[in-house]
Amino acid sequence: MENKYLIAKSCVEAIELSKTQSDFSYISGGTDLMINKYQKNNTSKTLIDLSEIQEMKSFEVNETEVRIGSAVTLSEIEDNKYLKEVFPTLIEAVKSIASPLIRNSATLGGNLLCDNRCMYYNQSEWWREVAGNCLKCEGDICIASGGKRSCFAKMVSDTAPVLIGLKATICVVNNEGETIIPIEEIYSGDGINPHSFTKETIIKKIVIPRGNIKSSFEKLRERKTLEFTSLSCAISIDENVIRIVLGGVDPKPVVLDFDKSVSVDEIILKSTKKCRIVKNDLYSREYRKEMVGVFIKRGLKKIL
Amino acid sequence: MTEIELWVNGKRHQLLVNEHDTLGFVLRNKIQLTGTKIGCEQGSCGACTVHVNGVSVQSCITPVLKCVDKRVSTIEDVADNGNPHPLQQKFVEKGAIQCGFCTPGMIMSTLDFLKENPRPTREEIEEGLSGNLCRCTGYKKIIDAIQEYANEVSSEKSDKFKMIGEGRPYIEAIKKVKGEADYTDDILEKNALHCKFLRSPYAHAKIKSIDFESVLKIEGVVDVVIGKELPNKFGVLPISEDETALAVDKTRYIGEIVVAIVAESERIAEQSLLKIKVEYEPIKEYLEMMDSTLDVGENEQIHSHSRFNNNIHKKAELRFGDQEAGYEKSHLRVEREFEFEGVNHGFTEPHAAIAKWDENGLTIKTATQVPHYLHRSLAKVLEIPMNRVRVIKPYLGGGFGGKSDPFPHEIIISYLAKKLGRTIRVKLNREEVFLTNHGRHPTKLGVKMGLDKDNKISVLDADIVIDGGAYGSFGVVTSYYNGVLLQAPYDIENFGFRTRRVYTNKPQSGAMRGHGAVNSRFAVETLLDELAHKANIDPCQLRLDNLISENSITVGQYRITSNGSKQCLETVMQQSDWKKRYGKLENGKGLGVAGGFFISGSALPIHWNEYPQSVVHLKVDMDGRVLVTSGASDIGQGSDTMLAIIVAEVLGLSMDNIFVVAADTLLTPIDLGSYSSRVTFMAGNAAKMAAENLKNAVLKAVSKAHDIDISEINLLDERVFSNDKKIDLTWKEAIVFLTNKVGAISTSGCYNSPKLGGDFKGSGAGLSPSYSFGSVVAEVDVNKETGEVKLLNIWGAHDAGKAINPMAVEGQLEGSWHMGLGQAMTEQMKYYNGMLLNANFLGYKIPTSVDTPPIHTNIIESIDPEGPFGAKECGEGAIHPVLPAIANAIYDAVGIRITSLPIRAEDVLRKIKEKEDGE
Repeated sequence: MENKYLIAKSCVEAIELSKTQSDFSYISGGTDLMINKYQKNNTSKTLIDLSEIQEMKSFEVNETEVRIGSAVTLSEIEDNKYLKEVFPTLIEAVKSIASPLIRNSATLGGNLLCDNRCMYYNQSEWWREVAGNCLKCEGDICIASGGKRSCFAKMVSDTAPVLIGLKATICVVNNEGETIIPIEEIYSGDGINPHSFTKETIIKKIVIPRGNIKSSFEKLRERKTLEFTSLSCAISIDENVIRIVLGGVDPKPVVLDFDKSVSVDEIILKSTKKCRIVKNDLYSREYRKEMVGVFIKRGLKKIL
Repeated sequence: MTEIELWVNGKRHQLLVNEHDTLGFVLRNKIQLTGTKIGCEQGSCGACTVHVNGVSVQSCITPVLKCVDKRVSTIEDVADNGNPHPLQQKFVEKGAIQCGFCTPGMIMSTLDFLKENPRPTREEIEEGLSGNLCRCTGYKKIIDAIQEYANEVSSEKSDKFKMIGEGRPYIEAIKKVKGEADYTDDILEKNALHCKFLRSPYAHAKIKSIDFESVLKIEGVVDVVIGKELPNKFGVLPISEDETALAVDKTRYIGEIVVAIVAESERIAEQSLLKIKVEYEPIKEYLEMMDSTLDVGENEQIHSHSRFNNNIHKKAELRFGDQEAGYEKSHLRVEREFEFEGVNHGFTEPHAAIAKWDENGLTIKTATQVPHYLHRSLAKVLEIPMNRVRVIKPYLGGGFGGKSDPFPHEIIISYLAKKLGRTIRVKLNREEVFLTNHGRHPTKLGVKMGLDKDNKISVLDADIVIDGGAYGSFGVVTSYYNGVLLQAPYDIENFGFRTRRVYTNKPQSGAMRGHGAVNSRFAVETLLDELAHKANIDPCQLRLDNLISENSITVGQYRITSNGSKQCLETVMQQSDWKKRYGKLENGKGLGVAGGFFISGSALPIHWNEYPQSVVHLKVDMDGRVLVTSGASDIGQGSDTMLAIIVAEVLGLSMDNIFVVAADTLLTPIDLGSYSSRVTFMAGNAAKMAAENLKNAVLKAVSKAHDIDISEINLLDERVFSNDKKIDLTWKEAIVFLTNKVGAISTSGCYNSPKLGGDFKGSGAGLSPSYSFGSVVAEVDVNKETGEVKLLNIWGAHDAGKAINPMAVEGQLEGSWHMGLGQAMTEQMKYYNGMLLNANFLGYKIPTSVDTPPIHTNIIESIDPEGPFGAKECGEGAIHPVLPAIANAIYDAVGIRITSLPIRAEDVLRKIKEKEDGE
């Protein structure tokens, strides 16, 4: 079968195209997908390009919410004066992603749907075969944990934790039509198939309510750039509720809500307990676990 | 396949492409715009940056079909009618270009981010460049260039007639900045075949069978090669030739080449690899270096030639004075164990080579630091005389020791070119570059040191194990260097070491910038810091009190001539305000110091013979232009420019009259290569001699023609004139007297080291006609909650003898310090069951522009008596002090000792906690 590269001009067209293709992936910025293709973690014969869809490139502000098209690039978000002023934490998270060059191509929707990562999976095809394919590449053992049942490849979107903290929702389009769902609902918690989507589903827009949510963001990484996260910690306070959202430490964003009266120690204890960290990057599991507490403490200090 | 129209640089191209081709692939392979470089294939290095609709993107991860109906522009579009863009001009003027491989990407990124922010701060420039890796410059001169461009500062251009001591751009800088310099893989060859390799999936396994019959039937596959076709062994050192081009009978590391396929296209070759069936029988593997020191019992050794029934490759041991007594008698003693992960050169240009066989025999163009050693190895393995082999080094994108061995891929394609009579090309991807390795040896060492009552070093004893991986490479030399290069810059009488280099079933280690001495230097400088604390004396003072003096002999009989170590140390002390700030910074912040020492070229040749170590030829014809030919390899360090400067200085010419042809084993006289920091000293001296010979010839001719004494004639500013100016000729007029009736004139110069050293076994290791010295002070900020270490400042000083081209020397020093801080902070080759886990630029963490602290550069000029115009090395020696200076700064900040590299945040945090718990 020949390779195909199809460029959709609308969400509806993209979904129609998807129906005609048995083996496809959507592509937007392509900054992760093209590497996955190079490493043959993605072998789709057809790529359906969403980056030309105008309705996914819009930016709207009304009295109650901000809507960002999912094909808006991370650089465009970074340079958006309004967002800088209203959601500085989102900008912080965006700036922590990859490198300026990658952010010129990468999109917000693409970041939310970046495939989960593990150092035993994000390797060349040759490497994975030599290592003995892991669960995520149709093998029968997880190299990182030694287990046989679950894949714990980490969710690495840096915008997801912040957006979940800001109570953002997404407008998704699929065969059934358009619906609005909270962002956290798209993450399945399974490292192999991390998104609870039907294959043709598209994120059209990200909707962030305007409000008085105070928030903070921090990311653990060895270099200050060109890194996927080893722990992203977004903390937000909405009236009396403290929301902790952790990325990079579980196959999905770890979301916990606490009443303001709960002690910091308890917040840390419960949050740490909820993360399913395995040794899947160059930090040890223990260190990342320990840093969950440190990051929460620091974040709370910043905004309380 | 699909037909597209692509607008590139204002021109429409009609192309047939695969639907999933990347823009980078199409630009390079379909429209020959090779100024766009591919360094990592995975969007992690930025060398491939181009503009799509004015926005900078990485073309290696951009699908070409995304770019239809858009405007693509590449580095080739930046200059205006051949005139460099003002930003390009700044890169040239400021010395922001060394190997030049990352330069096109840097320019493209910068032009884009300056559109948004035309007057960026230094921090904003660092941020803007943080997706573009550079391995040569440490980013400093790149950032300087951008800042001056943005602020429209005009910099002083170098004086046309000032040569030695005047900073000037590389002679090829314009070519590099415009993307016009052809690196090996940029060279177009007609009708070439492509070679790809099947690599071993086992660390240690016998090859039972290889079935490739079906592959030969695939359309487009031309030939398949397996190990037994090329059984002759090779290696850079004649004393340890233990490698074959492809695995013969067994494989010794995961990634070793087992089969080579040559096909009409890269894709056919790659896809055909999957059809080859190899049957292996795994045998016991050795992945840990300490296991390799032990008897293997009934198991098979990695190499059967090891002397005993273990996997030790080389044991080197030298002892001077009495270490045991010295230690016993010491007033203060310290002893520690250290551990270092392996690191890789990380040059930005992946290995590439093109081989051709014709009536003149073999011609190979390849990214090599050592054309001569490759020349010898090819002759040996292919069993052809040396006069049938021509090695050409095109522009080269960084080496640092990683291109200083003959490599299997070079030998395999040469063999195929001969066998098939076709041109064969090969390029390694980044994963293959990492598997080829030859990087710094993983090291474990224990060191004992002591001080006597007068705070003099009373003993230094080191026991070292280095992990050589599967083959020898430079390992025998590395084994000695780990020890012998500790005998200075301090005066130590009771000095001894033992190094054991072991084979393991991992990619081989070899030479890397600062060869052999980086890790052991770290240990010694750390212990010195500890001794200073024990003695309650300033660590700078302790060093000053123990420095060896100039014109002295070390305990191992090294002849120290020029020595600027004291001035180096005093310079960094003063600049860092050491006396006021050391030990007095707020908790969490600290200053640390260390010293270093290195050879300026190895005095002994690798192949023992009486041939000069470097020869340079000059030719001048009636046009007045001087052609310099030298075998020296310019690998981005600026050796071609160095040769031109020296010749111009001697002859009183400007660079306009000098033309350099280098590193072509047919056209140029032999130079042993760019390794051991030998080129300026040796090839520079040869060039100086050749130029002096030419000068004498000119003087004689003019003297004879005008009947005037030679001592009355001067060569300056492109004129030849007598003291009284009665004779005043242009250079071209003067040359007429020389060339009339005889035509073009050639002269030659050569260099060979003087006889040096003692007469004991091992005395030759580390002998050099001159030694360099250096110091670094580092400033850090340690986060006590996370253990993360932030570098705040690096002050460095290096004694380079005389800086022939100060701008190039600064570039070498800054690059060295940057590479050193990379090893200290983030770089490591990480393995999982013998498989390299981070064979890419995402996982192998070279510091980016935002991870690099301000670097304060000082050249110290001690004026060496034997170096050309007083020059000595500057390319490697600067690296040594930076790593321990950082570790010592961490001690000053939080009171913990770093004993393993890289400095992991979690180790720092654990040690801080252990310390707090202990208190």
